Amino acid sequence: MFDSIINIIVVLLLLIGLFFMLAGTIGFVRFPDFYSRMHATGKCDTLGEGLMLFALIIYETGYEGLFKGDLQHASFVSIKIILLILFILLANPTSTHAIAKAAHDVGLQPWKKTDETEWIYDQDLGTDEVINGGETK
Amino acid sequence: MTGIIQMQDIFLSVAVIIVIASFVSLYRGIEGPGIFNRIIAVNVIGTKTIVLLVLIGFIYERPDFFDIALVYAILNFIMTIAATRY
Repeated sequence: MFDSIINIIVVLLLLIGLFFMLAGTIGFVRFPDFYSRMHATGKCDTLGEGLMLFALIIYETGYEGLFKGDLQHASFVSIKIILLILFILLANPTSTHAIAKAAHDVGLQPWKKTDETEWIYDQDLGTDEVINGGETK
Repeated sequence: MTGIIQMQDIFLSVAVIIVIASFVSLYRGIEGPGIFNRIIAVNVIGTKTIVLLVLIGFIYERPDFFDIALVYAILNFIMTIAATRY
């Protein structure tokens, strides 16, 4: 009884996390602009990964620790995964902010819906022009 | 009743779906215009790989993979900061 309740909670959290991660991936492939792609990946990956790792913590603590009785090993593994979640919650928004700030400093323009030429302009602005945008070679 | 083998099958199927999603986002890394799309693609694939490593550690019941996942998270963060800063 206790076992099956824990399994149901773990599977539900895994599926919700997987949904967020797949939504982030679809947004990353299909959004038209760099900044909107970053909007898709930056939140969905953090939330999906946090939910999936939380599900694995519940599985480890409930199944290995309480059901099998090996509580010391289970808490050791759980503390490692909690450290992983804390590090991800710190590092992933920081790296997203760093990438967005670097792109804004280089001078990448956001995509606007008003004109068709803006889209072509953003698509054609390849590696060389974007990188050497505000600087001399 | 659900047993431990069934839970590991669920973990294995979730890991396969994550691998497929990381290949889908690899398309943007190859095709995407500009260098910043490639940097985000590397960041996203690294983020998926962390979950994949933890799931592999649960599938094969080897706790060593959690240390590898921690080191991979730190390396991914440092690599992203270095690539955007300089």
